[in-house]
Parts: sequence; C-alpha cells; structure tokens
Amino acid sequence: MTVTAVSPAISAPARLWSGFRSLPLAMRCGMAILALHVFVAMLGLLWTPYPYDAIGTGVGATGMSWQHPFGLDQLGRDVLSRVMYASHIVLYMGLLGTLFGMFFGTILGLLSALIGGWFDAILQRFFEAMISIPFLILGLIAISAAGPRLASNPTLIALVVGIVFLPRVARIARAAGLQVVTRDYVTAARLRGESYPAIVLQEVLPNCAGPLLVELALRAGYAPVLIGSFGFLGFGVRAPMPEWGLMLSENRDLIMITPITTIGPGLALATLVFGLNLFTDGLARYLDRAGLTTAR
Amino acid sequence: MVGKLILTRILYAVLTLLAVSVVVFAAVEILPGDITTRILGRSATPEAVAVLRKQLGYDQPAVMRYANWLGGVLQGDLGTSLSSQRSVNEVIGPRLANTAILALCAFVLSVPLSLLPAAAQALKPGSLLDTIASAINFVLLAIPDYLLASIMLILFVVVIPVLPSTSLVTDASGFWDWVRALILPSVVLAISISIYAIRLLRDGLIDVLSRDYVRMAELKGMPLRVVLWRHAFPNAIGPTLNITALNISYLIGGVIIVERVFSFPGFGSVMVGALQAGDAPLIEATVLIAALIYITANTLADIGSILTNPKLRSAQ
Repeated sequence: MTVTAVSPAISAPARLWSGFRSLPLAMRCGMAILALHVFVAMLGLLWTPYPYDAIGTGVGATGMSWQHPFGLDQLGRDVLSRVMYASHIVLYMGLLGTLFGMFFGTILGLLSALIGGWFDAILQRFFEAMISIPFLILGLIAISAAGPRLASNPTLIALVVGIVFLPRVARIARAAGLQVVTRDYVTAARLRGESYPAIVLQEVLPNCAGPLLVELALRAGYAPVLIGSFGFLGFGVRAPMPEWGLMLSENRDLIMITPITTIGPGLALATLVFGLNLFTDGLARYLDRAGLTTAR
Repeated sequence: MVGKLILTRILYAVLTLLAVSVVVFAAVEILPGDITTRILGRSATPEAVAVLRKQLGYDQPAVMRYANWLGGVLQGDLGTSLSSQRSVNEVIGPRLANTAILALCAFVLSVPLSLLPAAAQALKPGSLLDTIASAINFVLLAIPDYLLASIMLILFVVVIPVLPSTSLVTDASGFWDWVRALILPSVVLAISISIYAIRLLRDGLIDVLSRDYVRMAELKGMPLRVVLWRHAFPNAIGPTLNITALNISYLIGGVIIVERVFSFPGFGSVMVGALQAGDAPLIEATVLIAALIYITANTLADIGSILTNPKLRSAQ
C-alpha cells in the first residue's frame, strides 16, 4: 500500500471529491442510487404524502393519479406513502442482518482457519449442513422457530438474515484466512503467545479485508431480496407495517385492476438491489485494480 | 484411485445429510408452543394432553425421539402429518410429482435460454451485442423472482391477456390445462436460473475459446459452429455441471416463491403450509427432502467433474 502525500492547501471536500472521482464508474453510479435510497428512507421516516397506515385516503384499488402516483391498495392506503415508509425498515433490516452475518461469519471463519484441527472440522460440517438447506428454507425455519410473538419483529428478521448469511460468509472468510495463517507474521504472533482473538483481529483480519469487503457488498445486495421473499410468503413483517415484498403479495390480487400498485414497490426493490449490485461490481473492480482481492 | 475419491465424496454427502437431519430436528424441536396444545386446542384437559403426548412419543427424551424418527425415515416412513392426520408420504407424494414436472419444464427451458446468449456473447466478447446483453443481464440480476413473476403476470395476463393468472391443477386437469398452467411459472423459473448461468457460462466459454486446441481447430479452417459445439462446449462442461447443481439449489428456493405467486399445488406450497401450521413431521420431511435433492445434485456434479477432469483424477 502506498500512501500519497496530500498537500494541505487542498480542502477536505475537494479531496473527498477527487477520491470519489477516481472510483470506477459503476461504483459511483451505485453510490448515487444508494444515496437516493437513503434520502428517500429518511424522508419517509419524517414525512409521507399520507400516513402509511391510513385507510381510505381515496377510492380503494384505483390506479395512478396526481394525488396517488403509485395508486391505492385494496384498503385505500396510499401506495407511494407505504413504499416510502417501507424504505427505512428495509434498509435497517438489510444492513443489520448483513453486518450480523458478516461479523460472526468472519470471526468464526477466521478462527476456524487459524485453529484448524477438530474445531475446524466440526464447524465445517455444521456450516456445510446449514448451506445444504436452501437459504429461503433455512430462513423460514428460523423465523418459525422464533415463534409468532417475535415473528414480525424487524430486528428478528434481520437476525434471521444474518443466520442465513453466516455459514456462507464463514466459508469465504476461512478460505481467505487459510492463505494468511501460514505467513511469518502470524507464526510470530503465535510464538509471542498472543491469544487467538488477538491474532485474528490484529494479524489475520486486516490481511483478508479485500475478499471480505466484496463479500459484504454481495451479501448487502442479497439481503433486501431475501427480506422481500420472507415478506412475500407472509413470514416477514406484518401489516399494517409496510415492506416491499409484503406489498407485492398484498397487491398481487389487484394486478388485474391496478398493476401500478405492484410496480411501485417492485421498482423500489429493484432499484435498491441494482444500486447495491453496481456498487459491488465497482468495488470488486476497484479492489482488483489495487491488488487487494486476494489475501496478502 | 478415482473410485476411492468418489467414495469419499459420497461418504461426505451422507454425513452432511445426517448433520442436516440433526439441525432440522433441533430447529423444529424448539418451535414454540406445545405440540399437543396445537392439536387439541387450549381448552384440552391435562389428562387428554398426557395421553396424546404418550401417543406421539413426546414423553420420551429428544434424543430418543430423534433416533425413532431417523429410524423411520431410513425405512421410508416420514411420520404422520399433525394437521391432516394423514401419512406424510401420502401428503407429499403427489405434490412432489407436480413440482418435479414444473422443475423439469423450467430446467429444459433454461438450457437454450442460458446457452444461446452465452455462446453469442462469448464468440465476440467486447462487441456491441456482448455489451448490450451483459447490461440487460445486469439489470435482470436486480429483479428477484417474486418481482419477475409479478411483471410476467402484468405482461401476459393484464396487458396481453393470453394466459391464466393462477396455475391451479387438479387430478381432473387435462394435458392442455397443464400446459397453460405451466407456461408462466416455468418461464419465470427458467429466466431466473438463466440470469446467473449466462454470466458464468460466458466467462467459462471465453476462457475455453482462447485455448490452443480451439485456436488450432479454427486455424484448420473448421466452421465456427463446429468449433463451438465440438471443441468448446465439451470442455466447458465441468464448470457447467457445477452451475447445474447450483441451479437445482436455486430451483428449490425459487419453486416455493413461484408456486405461491401462481397458486401451483406443489412441494413448495406444502412446505410453506407446514411451516405456517407448525406441523413438525411435515416440516422435517420437506426440509430433509429439499436438502437431499441439493446434496445429491452437488455430489453428482462433483463426481461428474472428477470423471471429466483428468487433473483431478490423478491428483490423489
């Protein structure tokens, strides 16, 4: 890694701007889309055209109009307001779930690589079993196991997303960790008698950052899709709380009358995933260019 | 040598399946609410509850119950569904057959849907066609299957009303009912599989096409078509096998969603219903079957690539 000296004459915003300019185009476009999503999410939290759960704000199951650009659902709730209010719920669940899965997956994967032996063998069998259950099914089981009282809680949904991601992240982290643990600096740390957690945090983790960052972005892009599938199947957050997948299923029966009520939430979901995918694609390219994708 | 490698792989698969059975049993065990109150209702007398617990074997410790359950599963007996009081085999059997038909249609459709664009792109990487196809692929990648299903519904049921919006089939359904019912769900599944497969196949083909033996065949003056089908594709088959296995795991998840959207009476809807009803034996059976399919597909793909890859054959 080279550190470029920056002359103090250049102001901080200008430096940030030039740093931003040097990123791959895909990443910049992705960041712009994500910024828009964050803005809408914050706006939706503070203000929506109508309250998200207000019933009968117009004639139910009607299409596009100036008052209701995304139409009205069966109960006469304004779909645009619901899409906007759902934004922060989806972002919260997606982000928390991804971070949870990344955090524990990374720690367990790297420890597995570092400790090896029976610890590694048992953990790998266990993760292998979890991966053999298709992720949607694994998620649905976890939600059912939590019980009806907790089921519609956004934090619980986020934790389930994390549990589904965990074994997959652990596998990537372990593979990246295995390339690092034989290096001299790790051996030196071992000989110094440092504890496993300390070695993982100080020696192994920083040298596996590249692949793990890409994994983080990849998982973040998949989280809204998974959350949407839970909602769509009726296992996610419950009405009146809005969530895009749930809304797609709520308005499925209206598809013959007002297709716009499903296009609205669909558009929100697709653009978020598209932005995250663009960002991931750009990030992978950027790290590749910087030679950071393989563990050093 | 090869035999030993394959045998190890199979042993691995069996161990993993065993681990899945433990995970599933444990997860279902901690399902909330007492199983007996779920059957008898809250107003049941303690005596009735005790009798039922004994009847279901719930007075035994979990380890014993697991052993009994596993013993039954190994003999092909998946238990009795709590909600319908019918044997699980009876409940799942016909639904599994329905889903197998759906999955097969989707799979057959996905072969040309993924091979043709991938081949067209790989022949001229960097061309306008390649760039446009990649861009379309990237956009489609952001559309989850349930959204794709909604879009297809809008297109072919609302805008161009040619297809039915639900795919309910019964024993009485004739051949053409089946065809009409299967078109939308299988196309949705096929597209969502192909989106992933195209990217991987394109990269794999580009790699193979740059190899010396392909160059040689080209220089001999062989027609491009022959080079592609006789030299390039067979060598891209190893990775393709793995993609196929990946697709099957994706199919299992996708089937659940698609069956819900189109109200198709299949395996996925049984599973969702079982989860909603807390029907423990049915949940355990469906998840185990899904995992079995996934693990079998993966193991077969691995064995396939061991057999087709001479390097892997001699490595151990």
